[in-house]
Amino acid sequence: MLSQEELERYSRQILINGFGEEGQARLKKAKVFIAGVGGLGSVTATYLAAAGVGVIRVVDHDKVELSNLNRQILHRDEDIGKNKVDSATKRLKGINPKVKIEAVAEEITEASISRLVAGFDLIVDAMDNLPTRYLLNKTAIEKNIPFFHGAVNGFEGRAMTVIPGQTACLRCVYRGAVVEGIFPVVGVTPGVIGCIQATEVIKYLVGTGQLLGNRLLVYDGLNMKFTEFKVKRDPNCEHCGGLKDKS
Amino acid sequence: MSVKVNLHRSLASLTNGQTVVEVNGDTVGQCLEQLATRFPRLKKRLFEKDGALSRILEIYINGESTYPDELATTVKDGDELHTVVLIFGG
Ligand SMILES: [Zn+2]
Repeated sequence: MLSQEELERYSRQILINGFGEEGQARLKKAKVFIAGVGGLGSVTATYLAAAGVGVIRVVDHDKVELSNLNRQILHRDEDIGKNKVDSATKRLKGINPKVKIEAVAEEITEASISRLVAGFDLIVDAMDNLPTRYLLNKTAIEKNIPFFHGAVNGFEGRAMTVIPGQTACLRCVYRGAVVEGIFPVVGVTPGVIGCIQATEVIKYLVGTGQLLGNRLLVYDGLNMKFTEFKVKRDPNCEHCGGLKDKS
Repeated sequence: MSVKVNLHRSLASLTNGQTVVEVNGDTVGQCLEQLATRFPRLKKRLFEKDGALSRILEIYINGESTYPDELATTVKDGDELHTVVLIFGG
């Protein structure tokens, strides 16, 4: 049930065809896991909090650095040296005190991930490295919950949504190259891609629209062009190959 | 088979700025090899040392993924090939 205050707070989105009070109630019931509150995570968390997702768990073991502030919009100058999840929680609470924010300043590892994700309805992949992205993808498959992928570099970004057993997973698409290092990026790029990820999450929870399943969306900010590539499940995928096809 | 190759922006510095190149070949592998012959500096960006496709490159034909057997994927006249570079930043 939505309170009078909630009905007013969310009135503009409740007006959307296919959204309604029912969709809003679904958002309120949802528990969303956001891996990383850097460039992408700042944006997805902001919009999911504003939209009224019930519980948001933000997980990041990093502290805020000066070089983060060109893009990680949940953090401020005064937060430098503090845990990212703490500044994120403070800002998200300010945007929407109705949302329960769970801050976890822990590293996502093979040993911790299952416990960290337990009880959550979906995973938002807002990480900055491939090994953890693969770990999240694998966990999403094992727990049979959707996985919302996004990545950025420079003016370029990409997004894809994984529904286990129905669509290609990250490992069906990527060979698994592990490239480490500092990547170049301007803040508007995670702004665009983070918003696409948040849009996908909202659509999934509300149950409206067409998800980015089996579709890799590639964004080229310099040419201001979106290209969609078709991807498919790899029957020999080491993460999801064993799942029965439910599509 | 004439194939139109769309090169990722990060590769264009190795092709004198060209982002679209026409090549001939029956497979993705042949198309990429011809590209590497024409632009020798591209070679190590396209292939691993053992001749396999670069681990950070993705190849799409007419917008469809060719993973995991990219190099063996056959192409036909008029096909469009996209090279996309894997990104991981957040
Ligand atoms: Zn898979």
